[in-house]
Amino acid sequence: MIPEQETEKDKNVLLVDSSRCIGCFSCEVACKMEHDLPAGPLPIKVIQVGPLGEGEELVMSFQAATCLHCDRPACVLACPTGAMQKRADGIVFSDPELCIGCQTCAIACPFGVPQLNPTTGKIAKCDGCMVRVEQGLWPACALKCPTGALIFGTPTRVVQDVRQQEALRVVRGLKLDT
Amino acid sequence: MIDYRSLNRFPGTRKDHDRVVRTICQECSVGCGLLAYVKEARIVDVQGDEDHPISRGRLCAKGMAFVQGLENPDRITRPATREGPHDQFKVLDDWEKALDLLAEDLRKINGKYGPRSLIIACDPEAGLDYYIGAMRFAKLWDTPFVFHLMRSPGDLSIPPGVKIRTRPCSDWVNSQCLFLVEADLATTHPVAFSWVLDAQSRGTKIIAADTRFTATMSKADMAVRIRPETGNVLGLALMKMMLEEDLHDSAFLEEAFADPGQWKASFETMSLNGFEKTTNLTLEKVKALSGLMGNKSPVTLITGKRLANRLNYSIWLTMAMAMGWINVSGGGWYPLDSGVPRITQNADIQDRDSLVVSFEEEGDPNGLLKELAVIAQDPESPVKAIICSGNCLNDFLTPIRNIVKGMDLVLYFGSFPNATWDFSHMVFPATLWAERNGLCFSNDRAIQWSEKIIDPVDGCRSGLDFWMGLARRFGDVKHLQWEPYFPWKKEDGLTDHVAFYNWLLDQSPDTAGCDVDRLRGSGDGSKLVFWPFHEGTADRAKIKPTHAPAAIEPLIQEQEEEKSYPLCFQATRIISRSGDSSRWWPWTQELELENAVQINPETAQVLGIENGDEVLVSGAEGKMEGRAWISRMVPRWMVWSPGHLGERRVLVHKRGQTSEEAIHILGEFFNDTRTGNREG
Repeated sequence: MIPEQETEKDKNVLLVDSSRCIGCFSCEVACKMEHDLPAGPLPIKVIQVGPLGEGEELVMSFQAATCLHCDRPACVLACPTGAMQKRADGIVFSDPELCIGCQTCAIACPFGVPQLNPTTGKIAKCDGCMVRVEQGLWPACALKCPTGALIFGTPTRVVQDVRQQEALRVVRGLKLDT
Repeated sequence: MIDYRSLNRFPGTRKDHDRVVRTICQECSVGCGLLAYVKEARIVDVQGDEDHPISRGRLCAKGMAFVQGLENPDRITRPATREGPHDQFKVLDDWEKALDLLAEDLRKINGKYGPRSLIIACDPEAGLDYYIGAMRFAKLWDTPFVFHLMRSPGDLSIPPGVKIRTRPCSDWVNSQCLFLVEADLATTHPVAFSWVLDAQSRGTKIIAADTRFTATMSKADMAVRIRPETGNVLGLALMKMMLEEDLHDSAFLEEAFADPGQWKASFETMSLNGFEKTTNLTLEKVKALSGLMGNKSPVTLITGKRLANRLNYSIWLTMAMAMGWINVSGGGWYPLDSGVPRITQNADIQDRDSLVVSFEEEGDPNGLLKELAVIAQDPESPVKAIICSGNCLNDFLTPIRNIVKGMDLVLYFGSFPNATWDFSHMVFPATLWAERNGLCFSNDRAIQWSEKIIDPVDGCRSGLDFWMGLARRFGDVKHLQWEPYFPWKKEDGLTDHVAFYNWLLDQSPDTAGCDVDRLRGSGDGSKLVFWPFHEGTADRAKIKPTHAPAAIEPLIQEQEEEKSYPLCFQATRIISRSGDSSRWWPWTQELELENAVQINPETAQVLGIENGDEVLVSGAEGKMEGRAWISRMVPRWMVWSPGHLGERRVLVHKRGQTSEEAIHILGEFFNDTRTGNREG
């Protein structure tokens, strides 16, 4: 049921950079438009945390939460019809042809990700925009994110990007402070 | 410059489509480029335009969800009429016949009560063409009462010939510091805010001053919380301190300011005694702020729309000039929602005296409306008809709603059955922006052509079509020359929008010489067209800067009012709503509660209010019901809501609690805070 992991170059990751997330809901709407979803289910959801703290010292952040596409996904193991599947490239998705809308996956998932689409009676869950990705396109949420808080690519490239940005931040800091 | 190339983005659609329309989103004033994918006259997908210099392929929630308005089953698509607000609407299939009926009704009202019996109200969503059409029809009809929310740059004391450029948001990465005052850019304009974050990651210091702890504040390097409506006062104090520290640009001052000595002296003598009480900020904090800003040149000042209606607004332009930030890359003044150039709407038609009431220019909308409420009931010449677009009667015309009930004709030009529709006798279905060609004036002062994506839903027409149809009928009966008022008619009797916008561009000295063809050419996104379109030869006219007042007066707060209404109230926009039609988009409608009432946890605790409780917010005149959202985003002494109430001070209590109880509890609570029984 859960395929052997292929080499990492075939897999992609979605990096959520909370330091750039402003809670604008763009990813949520992009996902709905891409998958033609009604009001209700939110395969990606932005959660506002805070403000915490006292007086002038407040902290507030936003966290875009979506399916983690687990290596050992509980939803896949729990699904009675085999609708919930994990692909070789790591994407966990639900096949609407097989889904009976029993929501066992929703109970099994430790992160509360799968939700029912009230229009179709089937599970609506992040499918990693697999059709888009197969066509070489970025997932809708990442592409439309106004601030670049969602970054998509192979782990090597994404990590490289993070490191490079961090290095530049250090260099710029040095330049400005001396 | 250290440069960095980020990961390649792979844009595009997977949806089957016949054609792609490259256009500009008109949901707000950022001016994002979008690509709309159309199949069989339906929009099947919307993607950002990767080549667009402002938006770089990104889109906000509103810039996608607008599609749901176009096909909404609740949309009004036929003109309709009824006797009174309690009757059923009778649908009229024919626009022309509906206009005949309307003209007949209006003619009767005009005959009986005269031309001043008609009020016209314009909401921004109906478009620039509805607004201009309304202004010209009002001239033809001879009514002075046109209410609108169109913004034009106020009198900033810049003599003609002196060109002040607003630099585009892409220039913020060249700033040393961005100072956002009462501007929650992350919420109102998320795509533009990405430039703030880009600047920050390049080392630009981000400072934000606002009352609520907003999303913008949460990203700032320095967050300063001030009392509502005191942003301009903070500007005055900052200017004074930067002058004291000698951080200003003396050379520019000598060269450009009319009387630099006198100007400087006004700041030297300005007393700051009332400052701390007015703004809730310590002078030490302002000093730290002025030191930081004064040493980080160039700074871009980004000011919110709310500041524009208040005293001393022009301090920001004066500051940007005095500090030498203006006309320098990475510096200057960026006022939000001020991207529409001054347009002389009626220069080409005969001159008549006309009193056009713009809230933006006149300052106090409530005062004006109260005045209008009196005028409307004048037995000599009562106001008996109103033509409104959007949801004016539930928005900026709320104070005259009671008068509207007694009118002979209430006409609603719009797309959805809202509260204004509830009042109406006649309805005319309006096109939405995606169905009509238009111009987009962005915050950046870019002028962009927004190509229509699809043809209008059958039965809907543009605002200019409406006014032109009405003008023709009125003109024919009165034997008036109406054509010069509407010189943009196509052979089918409808509006040639290209001709109209070419005319419009010619009406402003800032945009004259630019035309739609030129703007279409800029559609590849590589180069935007900005106004002023022609670089003027900067003559040596001296600038008259904003002088400091003698002292900073505390805001007028009557003791008695403070007792009965112990909390400040603020209403600002939420991220998922733009115009009235955004209420009909299921994707964004579910995201945020429109009647949320944000209360500080400590205040809520003493009042016994919990998250999600039904609460009542009441001011001296306005009242609203809402759901409590308990959050530290608001200070203890304030409540916030996206719903407009038209009040500055309010009382909040939950259901089942009397106002006396709530006043008593809050009185003790604030007393304790003041005397130190609780931590300040």
